[in-house]
Amino acid sequence: MELTSPGAATLRRDPDQATGGGGTGDAETADVALAASGDGRAFERLYRSHVARVHSLARRMINPDVADDVTQDVFVRAWSKLGTFRGEAAFGTWLHRLAINVILARRTTLGTERGRYYDAENVLDAVPGRPVVHELSLDFQQAIGRLPDGAREVFVLHDVEGYKHEEIADMLGIVPGTSKSQLHHARMALRKYLE
Amino acid sequence: MNDTWTERLSEYIDGTLPDAERAALEAHLAGCTACRTTLDELRRVVARARALDDRPPAADLWPAIAEQIGVSSGAHHVVSLAERRTRRVTFTVLQLAAAAAVLLLLGSGGAYLALRRPPVEGGGAIAQRGPAADLTTSPVGWVQKTSSRYDAAVAELQSALEQGRASGRLDSATVRVLTQSLVTIDSAIVQARRALAADPGSAYLNQHLADTMRRKLELLRRASALAPART
Repeated sequence: MELTSPGAATLRRDPDQATGGGGTGDAETADVALAASGDGRAFERLYRSHVARVHSLARRMINPDVADDVTQDVFVRAWSKLGTFRGEAAFGTWLHRLAINVILARRTTLGTERGRYYDAENVLDAVPGRPVVHELSLDFQQAIGRLPDGAREVFVLHDVEGYKHEEIADMLGIVPGTSKSQLHHARMALRKYLE
Repeated sequence: MNDTWTERLSEYIDGTLPDAERAALEAHLAGCTACRTTLDELRRVVARARALDDRPPAADLWPAIAEQIGVSSGAHHVVSLAERRTRRVTFTVLQLAAAAAVLLLLGSGGAYLALRRPPVEGGGAIAQRGPAADLTTSPVGWVQKTSSRYDAAVAELQSALEQGRASGRLDSATVRVLTQSLVTIDSAIVQARRALAADPGSAYLNQHLADTMRRKLELLRRASALAPART
């Protein structure tokens, strides 16, 4: 999958603005330059600045059980691709988009796609092969994880990460209308899990 | 509950509903308690999603990553960005001078080697360090791609250093040592660039230039950290 810049996406949770996530300005720019020249310590600093965000994205987008493995893969890929980082976007934004590409590719590799898109409102009940958990015992994050793949990906990318429907449609290979529809169904399903 | 309108509530929240439909929906909401309740719940879902916290993994993944990319994951203390901004630097002028002397030697020796050493076919033994491996496949690319970012970082650090000097937080002896070191490193960079222009395909020269630029960045970073620490 070709890694692209995030275009005009204006993330609500911009990794370079989020508190505690991502580096800022000069120090990170220097670390990126150092890491690109092979400095492992600089890359470790970048890892420590961004790992929470990448791991959280993996956990929500794909599966908590493989989040560690996916996160490792993201940073290994980032290391090998640092030479292609042109600084057009912030490093955190670039890394975030790389993480999404890795996650989407892993999803396909795992072959775990359950029913991707549902029209029914109660999408959580429609997920096959999921452990039976009393609904009231699910917290909001767990409920996100029980959404069908398509609805969950759209919900995380739109409502958590701040991408637009057109961008999500491009990433997932769907039309914007499907993205809007899945988002609505995901939100409707998650209403029951508000604390 | 009107299903037709319920289906449009998310678009209403996101502000993507066309004007005419938005007006019609608002008229419907005025008289439909169920839809207003649903709208409120959907808004809370959106707010909850935006408020989700990012959490790091339970276990440190760095050792495994370091192993995969072939760098040391040793037990050295990792300094966070915030920590690096606030910690007090305890370098003495003598320590700085010693470091500068090493840099002088490395810079001059490296530049000498860069200019004397014949091009290495295939990059020799330096082509195994992650992104630096790109130097063997696109030798000139790295310098071109990172040049603007590097220049910006150097300019920023030099500005911080200048402020430290102007405010008197760096004493004259320290400034003199730093200046001499930077002149030497800059000279090494110029020579390495010159050598690279004559032999742009040399992986060794690219690596040497990258290392020299990195040394300059490191010196500037240490010096700029030193400036605000001496209050």
